[in-house]
Amino acid sequence: MYTDLDPLLHSQLRLAIISMLVASDKVEFTHIQSETKAAAGNISIQIKKLEDAGYIKVEKTFKNNYPNTMISITKKGIEAFETYVNNLKKYINPKT
Amino acid sequence: MEKDNLTPDESFDIINKAISNYKMNYKENSQVFLLWGWILTLASISTFILLKILSNWEAHELRLGKWELKGLFFLGNWIVFCSIGFIIMYFMVRKMKKNKKVYSHIDKFIDNLWWVIAPSFFIAIFISIKLEIAPPPLMLLIGGIATTTTGLAIKFKPLIFGGMSFFVFSIASTFFTNEYLALVVSAAIICGYLIPGYFLKAAKE
Repeated sequence: MYTDLDPLLHSQLRLAIISMLVASDKVEFTHIQSETKAAAGNISIQIKKLEDAGYIKVEKTFKNNYPNTMISITKKGIEAFETYVNNLKKYINPKT
Repeated sequence: MEKDNLTPDESFDIINKAISNYKMNYKENSQVFLLWGWILTLASISTFILLKILSNWEAHELRLGKWELKGLFFLGNWIVFCSIGFIIMYFMVRKMKKNKKVYSHIDKFIDNLWWVIAPSFFIAIFISIKLEIAPPPLMLLIGGIATTTTGLAIKFKPLIFGGMSFFVFSIASTFFTNEYLALVVSAAIICGYLIPGYFLKAAKE
């Protein structure tokens, strides 16, 4: 009856990361860490999963002579997020 | 923070929190408006003083061979001030980028807008010289479009009104000539850049 929710987005941390990225053009890894309060290792694992699925793009650069990771959402990621939100609405209001 | 069996309500809650916690901070833009506000105000006031001094000179003293000194001083004054502005801005933007952790869609839009507007100013100067008309009406019109659009993008009323004041000054500037035109430009810069710039600086994050 209901469309299945994307298992990749249906996770607390990954959903928080992707929501943050939807609202911005580019976000630094450290900003995601401070906003989600999650461990860096855990965030790295979740980011790798989203990157492997083609939902996000990870750019490794240098800033003030230190490695800097910038993350942005891809077109595929935006589409997946929109589908996820639309499916969520169906769970909350099955008539829509 | 990790949970995979989320209810739809919990999912919506995460999305809402992530988006609403995303604080937009455009206060740093005030530095750019204040920098150009002061640079252009000083440039236009010094142009006024320069033209006032030159107006007391004899006609033959205002020529250096085939060159007209008035135009050279006028152009030179603006080039000096704008060059100083660009040098300061280069270091200012470099410092701002060092501290920036989030690049919003609006940041990107504003950057692109001003990258398009900057060459438009130079094209407007070229057109004005070619058509032998005073550049301020065109310059103020272009400045007004960019400033009002920036104000609308960041939803900051003083900047919207400041940008719109450029339109009024653009029309007003067509009624003035020579040195007094420089005063109209300085009044426009004070209303369009400096006052909104200080409001933006004082605004809450």
